[in-house]
Amino acid sequence: MNKAETKKRVPVKRWIVLALILLGVYAAYFGPSILKPVSPTVILPAEPIWPGSPITNTILATILADIVLFFLAFAAYRFYKSGKVAPGGILNAFEAIVEYLWNTVEGATGKWAKKIMPLVATIFLLIFVANMVKLIPGFESIGYLEKPHKSGVAYSPVELFTIGSLHLYAIDPATSEFYLVEGHEEDAGEAGHEEEHALCEACQVIPFLRGSATDLNFTIALAVIAVLMTQVYGVWALGPGYFSKFFQFRQLVSGGIFGLINFAVGFLELILEFAKILSFSFRLFGNIFAGALLLAIVGSLLPVVIPPGLYLFEIFFGIIQAYVFYLLATMFISMALVSHHGDEHAEEHH
Amino acid sequence: MDDPTAFVAGMRVIGAGLAMLGAIGAGVGVGIAASGGVQAMGRNPDAAPIIQTNMILGMAFAEAVAIYALAVALIIIFAA
Repeated sequence: MNKAETKKRVPVKRWIVLALILLGVYAAYFGPSILKPVSPTVILPAEPIWPGSPITNTILATILADIVLFFLAFAAYRFYKSGKVAPGGILNAFEAIVEYLWNTVEGATGKWAKKIMPLVATIFLLIFVANMVKLIPGFESIGYLEKPHKSGVAYSPVELFTIGSLHLYAIDPATSEFYLVEGHEEDAGEAGHEEEHALCEACQVIPFLRGSATDLNFTIALAVIAVLMTQVYGVWALGPGYFSKFFQFRQLVSGGIFGLINFAVGFLELILEFAKILSFSFRLFGNIFAGALLLAIVGSLLPVVIPPGLYLFEIFFGIIQAYVFYLLATMFISMALVSHHGDEHAEEHH
Repeated sequence: MDDPTAFVAGMRVIGAGLAMLGAIGAGVGVGIAASGGVQAMGRNPDAAPIIQTNMILGMAFAEAVAIYALAVALIIIFAA
């Protein structure tokens, strides 16, 4: 059995990989200048997917991640309805992830796990899938051409071919020029689309798709949801008494000087809740944005050997950041579920 | 000093570099957390899952400082 399997293996894939590597070397070092990588354009705020459109490229990427998640969820539902026991393929991985998440949530929150799991698992899956989707080639490299708004390196476009009324251009790294103050280009030089309006001389590519977490709006929205829901779960578990964690009026009246200190500490806890939003959002944003930046810059400097390793690194960090966000949300919620004073008294009794 | 724009641009890059000094403490902190976690797991392998969870939590908190510094540096260079 084993021998037959090894016999059947025809070493095709390794030659494909080798051919792709050689193609990469050719494109980066020997080929025409149009194939060479361009140095990246870094734009912090998300760009619109079309000039003047209210939809930004990060929203488009988030919608893409949503669609992937939707199909995954639908497939899992179909499988559940079919009554089979052992899932195969991607559903198997999905089951393993969900089971792991469930075990962690149940370990942290006990009987509340069924109410908390949907929120934190959704956050995990969305960040995870968004981080994986953003590694697909074409992200941050295919877009429309535009005159740079800020000064920086810009390139002149070269027409590749025309489909109907759609002209396809690639930007030519050989024509790089400094446009004004500081500016940039995105990822390995790929095709940029351009509509009928006048073609710019020095252009930069505004990509159609950019990783969701490279936009602060995405991460802050998730952080606000997580922190607000922490309060909701706290009130759910403890009633209005949950807020006595922040406003310890009873301590102020009866506690003397230490009561005053506790009262001040309560306000610090309130500030801490807002600091959580900040730390949640900036952690995810910083990691993913820095990763994208690293890939783009190293990709333009050393196009052949290093980027595959960095891609592995990015996959790892995509998983870790999703996991950290999920784990912190779970921990904060589980902390909000238990009464502050109840704990203190329990410790005193020991 | 003749060209104020260039001066400000240069100072901005220096400022971004100085902002990243904050990563030193975070690096030390993450290292200490990992060292403590691995030691604890070596002594008590049965408790590894709990230790790992708490270790990652602590590392995330320590690392957050470096990420703030990074965010500030990125904003100084690309957004300000």
